[in-house]
Amino acid sequence: MIKLENINKTYFGAQPLHVLKGINLNVEEGELVSIMGASGSGKSTLLNIIGILDNYDEGDYYLAGKLVKNLSENQAAEFRNKLIGFIFQSFNLIPFKTALENVALPLFYQGVGRKKRNAMAMEYLERFGLKGWAEHYPNELSGGQKQRVSIARALVTSPKLILADEPTGALDSKTSAEVMQILREVNATGITMVIVTHERGIANLTRKIVHLKDGLIESIEENDPDKMDFTKEIK
Amino acid sequence: MFNRDFWSEIFMALRRNKLRTILTGFAISWGIFMLIILLSAGNGLKNGVTSNFADRIKNTYTIWSSSTELPYKGHKAGRFIMLSNKDIQLLESLYQVDEVSPVVSKGGTLIFSEKSRSIYIEGVKPIYKNIEGIKILEGRFINERDMKTKSKVVIIDENTNKEFLRTTGETSMIGKTVYINGLSFTVVGVCKANAWGERGMGYAPYSTLQAIYNVNEYYQLIFTTKGLDTKEENEAFAKEVRKKLAALHEFSPDEQRGVWIESQMVNSLETMRIFNTISIFIWVIGIAMLISGVVGVSNIMRITVKERTNEIGIRKALGAKPRSILLSIVMESLVITTIFGYIGMICGVGVMEIVNMVMEASGAGTNSEMGMSVFVNPTVDIQIVVMATVVLIVSGVAAGFAPAWKSVKVKPIEAMNYR
Repeated sequence: MIKLENINKTYFGAQPLHVLKGINLNVEEGELVSIMGASGSGKSTLLNIIGILDNYDEGDYYLAGKLVKNLSENQAAEFRNKLIGFIFQSFNLIPFKTALENVALPLFYQGVGRKKRNAMAMEYLERFGLKGWAEHYPNELSGGQKQRVSIARALVTSPKLILADEPTGALDSKTSAEVMQILREVNATGITMVIVTHERGIANLTRKIVHLKDGLIESIEENDPDKMDFTKEIK
Repeated sequence: MFNRDFWSEIFMALRRNKLRTILTGFAISWGIFMLIILLSAGNGLKNGVTSNFADRIKNTYTIWSSSTELPYKGHKAGRFIMLSNKDIQLLESLYQVDEVSPVVSKGGTLIFSEKSRSIYIEGVKPIYKNIEGIKILEGRFINERDMKTKSKVVIIDENTNKEFLRTTGETSMIGKTVYINGLSFTVVGVCKANAWGERGMGYAPYSTLQAIYNVNEYYQLIFTTKGLDTKEENEAFAKEVRKKLAALHEFSPDEQRGVWIESQMVNSLETMRIFNTISIFIWVIGIAMLISGVVGVSNIMRITVKERTNEIGIRKALGAKPRSILLSIVMESLVITTIFGYIGMICGVGVMEIVNMVMEASGAGTNSEMGMSVFVNPTVDIQIVVMATVVLIVSGVAAGFAPAWKSVKVKPIEAMNYR
């Protein structure tokens, strides 16, 4: 699903910052992978490159067998829209749109008609127990509800890959556990998932933990989340 | 692309910042409002001044007699050249000349049922009505029959008419007998005042006055021409006439005076040239005003785009293509400029229509004492409205494009992390 070969990325600011110093990583279809590392280790940058939200300087990145390099904005938008669903720490819901409209937005960019779009969005909201909140604006929702809305938004286009950047970063531990449960269930339907986190408890719920340090992969740890009891507090 | 969703997105964005949208729009409204007001005022001035010539035939010439400045062929300088039937024959022999009318003028007293009024009578041909653009308010002007029969008929001006009606209590002067310098004339028409000051003005057949006063020399000849359309043709023709008259009256071909030859066509071309210059000037000012409005919109769009950077980033992450982002911002700017521009345009046109109505009702802008109009129908026509619309659309797109392009160029992750 994801194949990274010697990915390098430097931020050219007042002082050039070499964030990724040659990343090699394979993620198979249906895998549940977490990327761990201290802040500044480059884990978010790596996720952004995987999500085609940012470009890289060196190396090759294959997504679903296609080389993602020097794409035009149009092609990148198409990739993101069709293949990838994003979940962010700060939810990134559009504040002046209702939960339903937020979930339906990716479909709008696919050119799906209004009625069908709203019906599909409603279906996903229902799946995450948010039917009653469809007409509410993000600021009327709790953190957990917001994250469930954004998960619904990520899933509504039936993507092959879900990228989650600190999905539980802004949530309390109970809500975190609920969100992780949902993400695991989503993964169980066969959708590849990459989660960036700095919390061990979250990483422990994934099958593969990639440890990143100073722009390099330090180690890749195999893990069996079923040993974990995620109904207990995970922090 | 331009479906209901697209438009609802744009109007939602505009509604979210009502005050800002309105303030920005106001600059545009004001710009186009002032453009319309200026253009209308310019039009009013133009219509006003040209209406003084409008009813006149354009291809007419007036020749005035005058005194010479140079001695020539034994004649001393300062000799006064009088025009006569020989001049009329000479003019009539020219193929460019259509019809010649001498003007016989006579001052005197007009008496009607013991009321008298000082009057200035011009003896003219029927064609004179069109040449001078005389407006008949009641009855008729001189006709060919009057000319042939040398009938003693007179057309009086409206002020004289009003004065007599007021003092005698009559309801109409038409058909009444009046006395001009002791001779009886029948009033056949009333014309719009064209005289200056208190004195009355009247027109009688030229042949009648000529017979009564035995006039054979004239101070003024008027004639119409054909086939002379440009300034150059007219100037060449005037030169030719002057040369012929110089030969006839034996004044120097270098003479600057002797006779005055005035072309209505050249005058009106000159006037039009002045007004075209004024028009250009007004457009320049108006457009400059509009540009300041457009710069305002562009600035506001920049701020809007900046504020919406996060949202744009999210949209990009969700798969919004650059074109859709670009279009939505440009359209937003376009919607502001066209809606508010139209409001300004409607207000401007409305205000000027009201001004026009009030002016027509009160007769302001025209000076009946002078018989001159300075300000008539201060409105703009449809072409200008269409042009202003085009200007609005172009400026709307221009105002939105730079900020929109900037937002398209920024990377989605940078946009999303922007605070």
